[in-house]
Amino acid sequence: MPPLLGIEFLCKVADVISEYLGGITEDLIKDNFVIVYQLLDEMMDNGFPLTTEINTLKDMIAPPNIVSRMLSVVTGGSSNMNTVLPIATTSNWPWRSTDVKYSNNEVYFDLVEEMDVIVNRDGFLIKYEVYGEIRVIARLSGVPELTMTFANPSIINDVSFHPCVQFRPWETHQQLTFVPPDGEFKLMSYRVKKLKNTPIYVKPQFSSTGGLCRVSILVGIRNDPGKQIDYTTLEFPLPSSVASWDLTANHGNISSSPGSKTLTWTIGKMPKDKSPCLSGTMHLEKGMDHLEEFPTLLVKFKIMGIAMSGLRIDRTDVRNVTYSPHKGFRAVSKAANYEIRT
Amino acid sequence: MPPPPPHRPTSTSTPSGKGELAELKTQLRQLAGSRAPGVEDLKRELYKKVISYMTIGIDVSPLFSEMVMCSATSDVVLKKMCYLYVGNYARVHPDLALLTINFLQKDCQDEYPMIRGLALRSLCSLRVQNLVEYLVGPLRSGLKDTHGYVRTVAVLGVLKLYHIAPNACKDNDFPAMLKELIHRDGDSQLHFSFVSGGIQFFYLMNNEHMIYMIKDFSEWAQCLVLEMVAKYVPEDPNETFDIMNLLEDRLQHANSAVVLATIKVFLNLTMSMADVHQQVYERIKAPLMTLVSSGSPEQSYAVLCHLHLLVMRAPVLFSSDYKHFYCRYSDPSYIKKLKLEMLTAVANENNTYEIVTELSEYAANVDVAIARESIRAVGKIALQQYDVNAIVDRLLQFLEMEKDYVTAETLVLVKDLLRKYPQWSQDCIAVVGNVSSKHVQEPKAKAALLWMLGEYALEMPDAPYVLEGFVESWAEEESPEVRLELLTAVAKCFFRRAPETQKILGAALAAALSDAHQDVHDRGLLYYRLLQHGVETAERVINPPKQAVSVFADTQSSEIKDRIFDEFNTLAVVYQQPSYMFLDKEHRGAFEFSDDTSTNASVTESSETMLASQSVDANDNDLLLSASEKEDTRGNLVSNGSSSYVAPSNSLIDGLGSFTVPPAASSLPTASFAIDDLLGLSLSTNSPESTLAQPSLVLNAKPALNPGAFQQKWRQLPVASTEDYGLSSQAAANLTGPQPLLKHMQTHLIHCIASGGQAPNFKFFFFAQKSNASTGLGYFLVECIINVTARKCTVNYKTDESDLLESFAAVFKSAILNFGV
Repeated sequence: MPPLLGIEFLCKVADVISEYLGGITEDLIKDNFVIVYQLLDEMMDNGFPLTTEINTLKDMIAPPNIVSRMLSVVTGGSSNMNTVLPIATTSNWPWRSTDVKYSNNEVYFDLVEEMDVIVNRDGFLIKYEVYGEIRVIARLSGVPELTMTFANPSIINDVSFHPCVQFRPWETHQQLTFVPPDGEFKLMSYRVKKLKNTPIYVKPQFSSTGGLCRVSILVGIRNDPGKQIDYTTLEFPLPSSVASWDLTANHGNISSSPGSKTLTWTIGKMPKDKSPCLSGTMHLEKGMDHLEEFPTLLVKFKIMGIAMSGLRIDRTDVRNVTYSPHKGFRAVSKAANYEIRT
Repeated sequence: MPPPPPHRPTSTSTPSGKGELAELKTQLRQLAGSRAPGVEDLKRELYKKVISYMTIGIDVSPLFSEMVMCSATSDVVLKKMCYLYVGNYARVHPDLALLTINFLQKDCQDEYPMIRGLALRSLCSLRVQNLVEYLVGPLRSGLKDTHGYVRTVAVLGVLKLYHIAPNACKDNDFPAMLKELIHRDGDSQLHFSFVSGGIQFFYLMNNEHMIYMIKDFSEWAQCLVLEMVAKYVPEDPNETFDIMNLLEDRLQHANSAVVLATIKVFLNLTMSMADVHQQVYERIKAPLMTLVSSGSPEQSYAVLCHLHLLVMRAPVLFSSDYKHFYCRYSDPSYIKKLKLEMLTAVANENNTYEIVTELSEYAANVDVAIARESIRAVGKIALQQYDVNAIVDRLLQFLEMEKDYVTAETLVLVKDLLRKYPQWSQDCIAVVGNVSSKHVQEPKAKAALLWMLGEYALEMPDAPYVLEGFVESWAEEESPEVRLELLTAVAKCFFRRAPETQKILGAALAAALSDAHQDVHDRGLLYYRLLQHGVETAERVINPPKQAVSVFADTQSSEIKDRIFDEFNTLAVVYQQPSYMFLDKEHRGAFEFSDDTSTNASVTESSETMLASQSVDANDNDLLLSASEKEDTRGNLVSNGSSSYVAPSNSLIDGLGSFTVPPAASSLPTASFAIDDLLGLSLSTNSPESTLAQPSLVLNAKPALNPGAFQQKWRQLPVASTEDYGLSSQAAANLTGPQPLLKHMQTHLIHCIASGGQAPNFKFFFFAQKSNASTGLGYFLVECIINVTARKCTVNYKTDESDLLESFAAVFKSAILNFGV
């Protein structure tokens, strides 16, 4: 048994069920056990995954949405399955049914990047990678074929694609060609490694003697990304030997959860004119002379409108259709695992 | 499906008895004929109720005929619930099964394709052996159905039929029909999903040409095809490259299962081409690293286990990627542990500094278990001999951190380091001398400290006095391991600094002699007598000059690692155990996708035993020092101190020292056996079977055959003969693990390439080679399955030297029958 087959399938099942029921909790499953049973019946047969493509499933088993409920009340019909079976349609794209229709055709691309950074005790950057995803929301009629090119595809280190992406065009001239599934999906994910410039710096100092620990943490913009750095928070677990603390910040506020002994410093929007600073002292427990374990600082922030890896979408084209859809692009960079060791 | 909670309208309280059932019955009956609007909704509610009763274990089978009557409808949901119901009871009540079949067969001709399909699926899922004849007709028409959905279901149906009655499947020509469908069917939607069924089928039938169609398949079907391709042996290198080119883009698939399956194909295909194999490693690195860092912790753990396996096989290729194995603060500790092992493995001259720096940061980690692991990792790297100087400095810095567990782990490491690099003693001892013995609490660390005190008594001025403190608190010392070590340390110290230690030694010996622990008592007595015999003799036994240890015994044999590698992309990698160690025999082989729940049970069970055995391994390893010393002391005693001293772990390495021979067993006949064998003569010459053996068969004393080559040969050669032997009760009693038999066979020049199993079942693969055979030829391969309780042993021989097989079989037989005698 390939372990990843199991894991992937379970993830798919969870995805499908939450797509159908709007969540996945014990109560929801109990309330809708008939649908869950129908779904599982189609997704797995003879101990092996069968149909897991959400769009195909939706054609077979109607989701319990308000519209269909209303419809059944109005028409008196009771079946929540489509009478026309999708399988008969000779679609060449199993992830898409052919008869999709929208009055407003639109497609949105979201470039979501997560930064994975480790800064060591001496302030050196020892790891900086970006994991990115392109999420697409496609509401397009007919069977459109999309192409997408990047301005700088060479920076990408490793990619994986949704099954709808054709490999040939990517291999020859780094172009994504695909017939999108209907609705929301993850088009590709990629990794960019060995980046150099982090957008912010964090300079922590913990110096302890005689049962007192002086703390000073400086945060500031290092390489201005040109966009607002927002939702900045900095958190660290308080060492177990800390009895009490007295810390103040010149920007944002400090809170701590009593149970987990974690200190959170919420900065919010990063000010451009000054460097936020947290300072003060921590009192150690009796008998402790100095701090024995040094906390690791976790930094979180979001930058809207920019991809930190520098990846840029050059252009996208929609072919094979008569209309010209509305296209939207967004980028966001997040600090996912941004840790500063002290 | 969980039963609905009681407060839901779908399930009122449990039916108190016949009353509720009767009520349901009448309600169903009323609805059966009704055509009023809204009746379907009522039916659904009733069905739900019935099914929820069924799932909580109430027997609702009396409603059978009413349920079937009511299901004359086009409502698919109702049908589905009904199928669930009948499917459940058909298995338990054979008398109802025939009724069910009739009902389902009728539905197979329904006008709605969905219903046809569902009925066919339910029909095939009944899996009742004696009803196979009823399946064939509907299946045949299902395969020719106009609608894709029904065809898909029919294909899967054929597969199910194959599982319960392979012959019925072949007799009815289904394989040919399927083949035709796959190649002909233009409906790609159908193709996409139905093929997974077809593929499972061909998977069992071993058809290898699916690969060219792979891109048309669903991701799950692709996994199956890839699994199949991985077993394929290409005819020539060109074919290998064709396959690899075709599959290369699969490495970029979003589904990690596909990626892993592709990697397995690549690895297997290039096994015999060393340079390409290496390129494959380079190629698969990036996708694996991406999978590790993205996705859920479960996924990244599973991938990391595979990566771990690859790193362990070829650390050099990953040495520049060490930063990927840096632990994140938020990683769960099971992931951190794997990463630490990989960091240790990839360390080389160029990156040691960075890696050790990184590891040192973990030593200050809040997570104590990880801090310990990382210190051990530093030690392991130090033992690998890269830039030892700097590492020793680090280790000594750890000692200055003054945390109990850090100190403990570090002491153990420093001890190992000193055993390997005695030249570092001066630096280490200076610092170790400063460690206050009060900070050292753990037995292992204490033992390590004591060993150093004894060994380096001359360099440490206060060694006798520290030891004195320990001896004074002898009674409070709980661990016998520490007491043993203390006794030895005091004795060693005595040989070096007699005047200061004499008194302490006396106290220690007295304490040891009155010790409740047998080993401690015996060692005390032994030392006492030795000392009585003469100090010089005693020193020669207790404290002989030592050679530095060159290699420490590895915990997991490379055979096992190879076995696990052969099972790439299975749970074996995640468990770090070959599958035969956690699977029952009947679950192995072709039906690995059967949804049998008992597999899970056996898996969990054996993972527990796995843990147990691993921890035993760990203990053994830690006890290595003291145990081996004991061993040697004994060995020297027997030989009257005349033989030269062999360093403890050297003897462990050539695998003889650890093999404890009970004194009785070393009586004369056995001894002469061993000597005969050492001379390279086959045992058969002095065993009763020797008459059978042809004198021309002499076995090669050191045949070379690596596991890969063995496997290839095993696959190629047919079974030449199969025999059953009965084992003596002594042999069965001796066979508590694979090791003793392994050793025994080795003395007969029959070598083991892989072994495994838990009592009472063991499985061994042996091989031997005719002496003076040309390389790669003259091999005898043996698969030997032993059941200890039945005292039976089944042996399969394979050889490329068939005319000598008989004499080899005789040798093997006599060897195995002599085991334990």
